[in-house]
Amino acid sequence: MNSSADLVSRACRGDHDAFRMIFERYSRPVLSFIYDQIGDRDAAEELAQETFVRAYRSLKSLREETKLSTWLFGIAKNVTRESIRSKVRDRRNVDLDDDQVLDLSDQSPVPVNQLLDKEFNQVVQRSLAKLDDDKRMVFTLKVLHQRSYEEIAEITGFSIPKLKTDLHRARAEMRQRVGRYIGTIGT
Amino acid sequence: MKCDDCINLLETYLDGEATERESDQIQTHLATCSMCANQLETLTAESEMFTRYDREMEISPALWNGVAARIALEDRQAESKSKTGLGEWIAGLFAMPAFRFAMPAMALVLIALLVGLAYWRTRPQAPAHGENIARAGNPKPINPTGSNSGVQQNDNPVPAPTFDSTGADEGHGPKIIAVNFPPRSRAMNIGRPTDQSDVLPDTENNNGGTMEERDTASHLEQAQNLLLSFRNIKYSDTDEEVDVSYEKSESRRLLSENIMLRREAESSGKFPAKSMLGSLEPFLIDIANLPDKARPADVRQITDRVQRTEIVAELRSY
Repeated sequence: MNSSADLVSRACRGDHDAFRMIFERYSRPVLSFIYDQIGDRDAAEELAQETFVRAYRSLKSLREETKLSTWLFGIAKNVTRESIRSKVRDRRNVDLDDDQVLDLSDQSPVPVNQLLDKEFNQVVQRSLAKLDDDKRMVFTLKVLHQRSYEEIAEITGFSIPKLKTDLHRARAEMRQRVGRYIGTIGT
Repeated sequence: MKCDDCINLLETYLDGEATERESDQIQTHLATCSMCANQLETLTAESEMFTRYDREMEISPALWNGVAARIALEDRQAESKSKTGLGEWIAGLFAMPAFRFAMPAMALVLIALLVGLAYWRTRPQAPAHGENIARAGNPKPINPTGSNSGVQQNDNPVPAPTFDSTGADEGHGPKIIAVNFPPRSRAMNIGRPTDQSDVLPDTENNNGGTMEERDTASHLEQAQNLLLSFRNIKYSDTDEEVDVSYEKSESRRLLSENIMLRREAESSGKFPAKSMLGSLEPFLIDIANLPDKARPADVRQITDRVQRTEIVAELRSY
């Protein structure tokens, strides 16, 4: 009854409740994905809003064979890219000049305390910000959002070989920066 | 399979994207190679670690409210665009060579109408037999046309027009400065006290206008009650959820009514009403979008805003 296809079809006929359900189902992954790309909570909310407005506007163009979540991620990717090009990138680059952010290759022992998870979250977020745009997008879609290569290719427009290469390099970079937390988080 | 080949395929294998044949080869190799098996274990631990990444993202009601408001705005714009399209089509007709004469002709007709109206308003007038009732500060509705209009007055559910005499139209018999008719009727009636058919309220128009105002007043009263009821919901911070199902359904009903009334107020140029309804709408949207069992923090956020903006006082004084 409330399958994605059914919700889309109802929303296309002007059923606002159906669109609201689509929003409720996908707003969290879409917002997280955007946040992963730009690292700014307020801006991520703005862009998530823009994503769903655009989705509403072009729901009728959604092809039946396209998975709704993949389609939404695709819109989110476009919205994010546009924003990064214009202003958000500048803001993040300013943030990245902070020494604290750049001091990620430090191999000193990790303090085991109650702040470890919080620290880990911050380190991951900052490390993501250090990846270049393509690598960050592929890495977050695969590792954080568990999308298949095919879906990532559809969302990003990258070829499978390119996304595999980007993913491999992104993993290596992330390992260098966050690898010291392996086995210490969530144990 | 050699170790290098295995290592190269390990990530693909871990991602569940290796072909069946590759998977078989990797599994066979891993069974005999502890180094590659360790490598897979590290990669698995790494993936596991990233699943612990918590962005602490909360979906605030404001996010949906923003989306809903923008969608509603786009719908409205699309609607007005289609109307503009019709207007442009009509304008296009006038722009066609065969109709070009229409514009100057229409301008001439308008000028003639304005001159006629100006003459009508400034010509000497005989005192009306109802002039003695146009007193300053008369608190009661007064029939400006005398007893002859009783039939229409009785049949008309709309309150009779009232007058005040504080204006500047001095020296022309009765000092009727402002008639409390809706704008359209006022324009028709001022300065023509002897002509009963014109002085009497235009029943159809007045009914429409007054009904609209009455609807708005009733709507705002209900909204005020809703906000008061919402503000007075009893809960404590330790509650996991607050039942707002009644307020939510009431808010949904009032929201659609609010949008309709605001549009009407806008189209008829009633800007204070439009502004009041516009200020109210975000509160209705917020409450309408709460789940039936809302989180105390979300409820508190709205009640704080209700208090901070003093919307209830504004509604009361409207």
